[in-house]
Formats: sequence, structure tokens, C-alpha cells
Amino acid sequence: MRNMNERPVCHRAEDLVTYLYGEANKAEARDFASHMQRCDACRAEFTVFHQVHDSIVAWRNEALGSVLVSEPIKSSVAQTVSHSTPFVQPERKLSALAALRQFFTVSPLWLRGATAFAGFLLCALMGLAISRFWQTPVEVAKNGNEPQFNQSDFDRKVQKRVDEELARQRKVAEENVPTPELAGTPNTRKNGNQLASTAVRSNSQPRNRLNKQEREQLAADLGLIPGREDETPFVFPDEPQQ
Amino acid sequence: METATSDEQMVERALTGDPEAFGQIVQRWERRIFALAFGMLGREEDARDATQETFLAAFRNLRGFRGEARVSSWLHRIAVNQCITRQRRAKVRSETGLEDEAEKNAAVFALPAEVSPARTAEHQERSVAVRRAVGALPPDLRQVVVMKEFEELTFQEISDVLDLPLSTVKSRLYTALRQLQLRLHKFGDAKM
Repeated sequence: MRNMNERPVCHRAEDLVTYLYGEANKAEARDFASHMQRCDACRAEFTVFHQVHDSIVAWRNEALGSVLVSEPIKSSVAQTVSHSTPFVQPERKLSALAALRQFFTVSPLWLRGATAFAGFLLCALMGLAISRFWQTPVEVAKNGNEPQFNQSDFDRKVQKRVDEELARQRKVAEENVPTPELAGTPNTRKNGNQLASTAVRSNSQPRNRLNKQEREQLAADLGLIPGREDETPFVFPDEPQQ
Repeated sequence: METATSDEQMVERALTGDPEAFGQIVQRWERRIFALAFGMLGREEDARDATQETFLAAFRNLRGFRGEARVSSWLHRIAVNQCITRQRRAKVRSETGLEDEAEKNAAVFALPAEVSPARTAEHQERSVAVRRAVGALPPDLRQVVVMKEFEELTFQEISDVLDLPLSTVKSRLYTALRQLQLRLHKFGDAKM
């Protein structure tokens, strides 16, 4: 038989297959039949294709006739249908896993490697980001070791130092009362007694609370407020002379 | 048309939870789907598995059937995809082979089925030749040939299943028939 490739091809190839498989309507069939009478290529191809079609049909009938399609398929499918709960939401998870499994099954080796590497890289970057997020923030550098006070702390501190100073003054006054230099003269003794009694009296009597300005001044004097050492220190009015 | 309407009613009943409805769909279409799978895969065992997987996939995705196409076209589309997936898996597993892919497929298709003692040697030889020739076709051409010859679908139905223009389906079938004739001639089919 002449080689197929040597046979000329007509431009009405689609009409040929339509006519061959009987899907042409009456007008189309009549038209193509008359064309075949004039076209050697279509006439030859129609004959050859008809033989191929007959061969395939024979093979199909033989193959499907020898294979029984009944219980094995029906029973397995029916079992699955009856035992499965239809349209349950977990099926969605299974199909996604099955799709992923199928992707790795049909994909080539290089694609699997690339996917694994990309996944590893992503995990490494996420770990790095999480570790940075959980790091404790660096403390802001403080200005030396100076304590930070709010107003109440400040008042408390000042009052404490005032009390300490008053106690110290009281102690000094008590010590100064019977001094040898001053014990010689009655006037000196008297003045000393007066001073001591005044000091004791002044120390025993509760002082009036300092106002804000006086407290600040005292705090500067005592060195509680930095940068104000050059100011005139506050002097107790009843400071005993030494 | 009446069959198509009945299929759609079956699907609606199946969606309401009637297990018998889907069983009737299986009973109605399993032979056709098996024929399609057998024509594409060439082996009975593979065709059985593909047919089973087709109906199982259809059952799981019954809600996804929107009624835009016929039930038969929908089932055929699932079956074609199942067969293509099987062929790809088989290709991945046998990547190291050096032989031509067409010849490998032809060899698979040439595996003898159960032979009736009454068949003549010539008849058997012709069947083997046709099987090899169909198996050697490229997948896109083989699909069309199997749907047309095994399933006896119309060109329009094949166009719907494969989502191809009608003219493309016809031209592919024409090309397939030319290649089949060439291969049958090459395999020494005396009657060709």
C-alpha cells in the first residue's frame, strides 16, 4: 500500500472525518459525497480511514467483550459510597493532602529539591524573625548614677535630711552647753545656757514646715539637686556658733 | 436529552443524601468510563483502577458539579484526568528508560489480553498491531481517538469534555487517523 505521507491532503479534512463518522447532516453529506467523486485524495483517505476505523472497532469489541465490568468495580465503589458520610468537611483536608501528595509524585526530582530547599529557607527566616522579636530591648542609658525622684520622693528626702540636720544641731547644742571655755564666766555660761536652751527649745519645738522654695534651697545645699552647688547655701537662722 | 435530564435528577437526589441515586449513576456509566480508561491506558487492571477512582472522585466532588455541563461530559472529564495522572506517574517511575516513549506505550498496549482459543492467529496479530498503534499515539491524539472509537461520543461531546473547539477536535482526529494508518502499515498490517 502506498505510504500515507505520499498521499496528497485535501483542505476538507474536517469534513472528511465528519462524513466518516456519520455526523454530517443531509446537505453536508450530499455535498461531501459529490466532492469525493471529484477529489482523489479525499476518496483515497476515506477508504483508508474507514479500514482503520473498522480495525479499532474490532479491537474494542474484542477487548471490552473479554473484560467483564460488573461486580468488582460496582461493589467497591458502592461500598465506599455507603460507608462514607457524604459531604463531610474533613474530605476537604484529605483532598488537599492528596493533591500535595500527587504534586510530589508527578513532579521531577529537581522540583522536589527546590521545594524542600525553599521550605527550609522559609523556616530559617521565620526562626530568625521570632528570635529577634523575643529579644529584650536594650535599656536606655541613664545619666550617671543620679537617682530619679518624683515630687513625693523629693519631699520625703528633703524632710529626712532636714530631720537629720536638726538632730545633729541638737546634739551639737547639747554638747556645747557645758564647754570649759565658756564655763569660766557667768555671762558666758549664761549666754551658753541661753544658747543651749534656745537651741534645745528651738530644736524641741516643732519647726514650721519648709515651703517649696526653702526645700529646694535646702536640697541644693545638701547636694540632692545636681548643678546647683554654686548657689548660696541656706543658713539656719538659729545655727549655733561654734 | 432524556438521559441527561435523568442524570441531573440523579445528581440532585444524591446531593440530598440518597446513596442509591449515585449508585444508579455508576451503573449507567461504568462501562463507558471503563472503555475510555481501557482505551487510554491499554491495560485492564489500570482501567479498572482508573474507573474506580473516577467514580470515587465524582462522588467526593458531587457538590462541585454546577450543572453547566452534562453529567456524562463531567464524568468523562474526570476519567480523562485520572488516566492522564496515571500515565504521568508511570512516566515518572520509569524515567530511566532510554527507549522512545511512544514505543514504551505501544509495548504496554501490546500486552496480550485474555485470548479466546477460538480466535485465529491473524485476528490476534491485527488486534495487537492496532493496540500498539493506538498506544503509540501522543496523549492528546489518543484521547480523541479513544473517545470517538471506544466511547462513541460525538464531536460536540468530545469538545465539551476536553474543552476544545470543535474544529480542533476534528483536526486532531484526522491527524490521529493518519498516524494510525502509518503505524499499522509500519507494523505490517497486510490488509492496510
